[in-house]
Amino acid sequence: MKSKLNYLIGISLNRKIKTKWFMIANIILAIVIAGIINIDSIITFFGGDFNDTRNLYVIDETNMAIPLLEEHLKANSSSLVEEGKEYFHVVKSEESFEELKKKVEEDDKNILVVIKENPETVLEVSVVSNSFMDSIDFQILSTALNNTKVSIAMANSNIPIEEINKIYSALDIKREILDENKKSEDEGMSMIMTTVFPVVILPFFMLSLFLVQMIGAEVNDEKTTRGMEIIISNVSPKTHFFAKVIAGNLFVLIQGSLLVVFAAFGFLIRHLIGGSSITNGLGGEVSNVLSQLLSSGFGEKLIYIIPITLLLMVLTFIAYSLLAGILASMTTNIEDFQQVQTPIMIISLVGYYLAMMAGMFKGALFIKILSFVPFISAILSPSLLVLGQIGIIEILISCLIMVGAIYLLIKYGLRIYKVGILNYSAKGLWKKMLKALKN
Amino acid sequence: MLKVENVTKYYGDFKAVDQLSFTVKPGEIFGLLGVNGAGKTTTFRMIMGLLDPTEGEITLNGKKIDYSVTDQIGFLTEERSLLTKMTVKEQCLFYGTLKGMQEKDILSKLDHLLEKFEISDYKEKKIKELSKGNQQKIQFITAIINDPKLLILDEPFSGLDPFNVELFKNEIMDMASRGSMIIFSSHRMEHVELFCKKLVILLKGKPVLSGYLKDIKEQYRKKNIFIKGDIDSKKLEQIEGVLEVVEHGDEWEVKIESEENVEDVFAYVSSCKHMTKFVVEEASLNEIFIAKVGESYEK
Repeated sequence: MKSKLNYLIGISLNRKIKTKWFMIANIILAIVIAGIINIDSIITFFGGDFNDTRNLYVIDETNMAIPLLEEHLKANSSSLVEEGKEYFHVVKSEESFEELKKKVEEDDKNILVVIKENPETVLEVSVVSNSFMDSIDFQILSTALNNTKVSIAMANSNIPIEEINKIYSALDIKREILDENKKSEDEGMSMIMTTVFPVVILPFFMLSLFLVQMIGAEVNDEKTTRGMEIIISNVSPKTHFFAKVIAGNLFVLIQGSLLVVFAAFGFLIRHLIGGSSITNGLGGEVSNVLSQLLSSGFGEKLIYIIPITLLLMVLTFIAYSLLAGILASMTTNIEDFQQVQTPIMIISLVGYYLAMMAGMFKGALFIKILSFVPFISAILSPSLLVLGQIGIIEILISCLIMVGAIYLLIKYGLRIYKVGILNYSAKGLWKKMLKALKN
Repeated sequence: MLKVENVTKYYGDFKAVDQLSFTVKPGEIFGLLGVNGAGKTTTFRMIMGLLDPTEGEITLNGKKIDYSVTDQIGFLTEERSLLTKMTVKEQCLFYGTLKGMQEKDILSKLDHLLEKFEISDYKEKKIKELSKGNQQKIQFITAIINDPKLLILDEPFSGLDPFNVELFKNEIMDMASRGSMIIFSSHRMEHVELFCKKLVILLKGKPVLSGYLKDIKEQYRKKNIFIKGDIDSKKLEQIEGVLEVVEHGDEWEVKIESEENVEDVFAYVSSCKHMTKFVVEEASLNEIFIAKVGESYEK
């Protein structure tokens, strides 16, 4: 019995892994993942004008706008350029408007700004470009011009320059949280994790979809070819069922590990080529998040959040595979299976969206209750835990509920599987299944 | 010995098999006949242990059939039960291992059988690339690769040309001579007649005829006389006991009620000119089958 189970697991796993499509799919995945991690370097490699400084020719009739404009432009664009470089290079020009217009016509990187005094609105500004301006460029420029206007207005009101600097300096907010269990440093991390977590769990969501499809396809392949008759005449439906579930989960673990390896490979490439010049990209973001995690003390929480999330995910994979096997045994072909598994996948998708929106509906009882529901809990519970909306006890309860769901799926699902696996007709299907459940 | 005793199977309220009993001894080839939906597949599934009988018992050598004895059984299903994405070698290794065989034994037996069925070149080919007939050969090989004590063949000649039917026939006969019990189902009565000494005819799950083929034919009183010569079919039809006179080219087939009518027919034929043939034959199994099934349908 044990050796036949092992043999079936091996066969099932080999049928998935020893195929050229598995190889091709993983090569594509490796390229895509490494590509996404190094997307900025790829864009830079193929060239473009994002790295080139824009020349801002300024006709300043106020004689005081240029230094202020330069300062505001620098402040607004500092995050977009490497240190020591300029996003906008301000050129105070003595040339005439017409001459400068010609320069603008000659090169899209040249922009002309005319700043005049206006008693009604403080300043009157014209911006001339050869073509459409990039929305980011225009936003930076318009913000800087507005700030320049405010600065000039304040200066005209005889507010000393020291006071103006104070007005523009960043506000230092001292944050205090009365709940002793919640550190103020964790607040920022929670916000970051709300954004990062859905990205982290996306592979889990994809793998669970993969798992369900794979088991359904394999069982239906054996059913439609009637190979099932020979298999079930030699091994019990129970052995067959568990072989499919174990093989499916092993495959998902292998595929999941490969995704991690591909990501590590992507970061290694990033490290070797030294990242990009325009932004720190995804790799930089991750490094930034990791360093913030370590410094904030949030990392300590991850010591239990990661294992418990992984445990919940593994339990959910098992539940998905059991459910996929049961549904596949009831259907007579892959098309029927696709239809019958759709509601389960939609429920899971709802869980995914709720996880993304959990931060928006802080404290919502409805979301908290849903975080205990099997198939949704693996996505939703860890999100709520990261946000501090539920504690370790609640997530442990989710795990226990998942274990209970697995027990019920095995106990009652196996009864359905035994009957369904040799059923080739959709006629009276639910009657047969209900009868199987009662037996 | 395979023993099927008073087996009945219900699917809900539908009775698929009704009080079926028969035995198959080592070396015997047993025919299980019936029109579509007669209960043959259900009976095979019960023998294989895939379904439990509602009533009755099925034993192999005195033991209830379960997963401890299925390694001794070979099963060829009516539909192709092959995983088409596998190669011939992978498929045989898969089913052979499920029968508890070692890989080394499977491969050596496989080479022998592939050669015997003249398809050695297809060992590494995928099942889906093979013709219908060659797929059937592979299916047959997977059924006999473990030298089963009990071999169940559901429509084994489906999709085969006469040459390959002969190959199968020889192998089946060979297995029976080596002591295997063989249960055989086919719509082709000439095949059943060729192989089976014992048979049962099922109709709507109920056995309508069972026993040794020889006894069945003897009990079936109607005979056929084949005549060649200048006869008047109208006069033949008027003889008492003559049921029908059918012309087959230059030959006449005279169906009579029983052997007792032969003399009257012979007396008439003796008076006719250019007589070259007068042969009395037993009714074919096909005739008996149609007659029995037809009778029962009418009832």
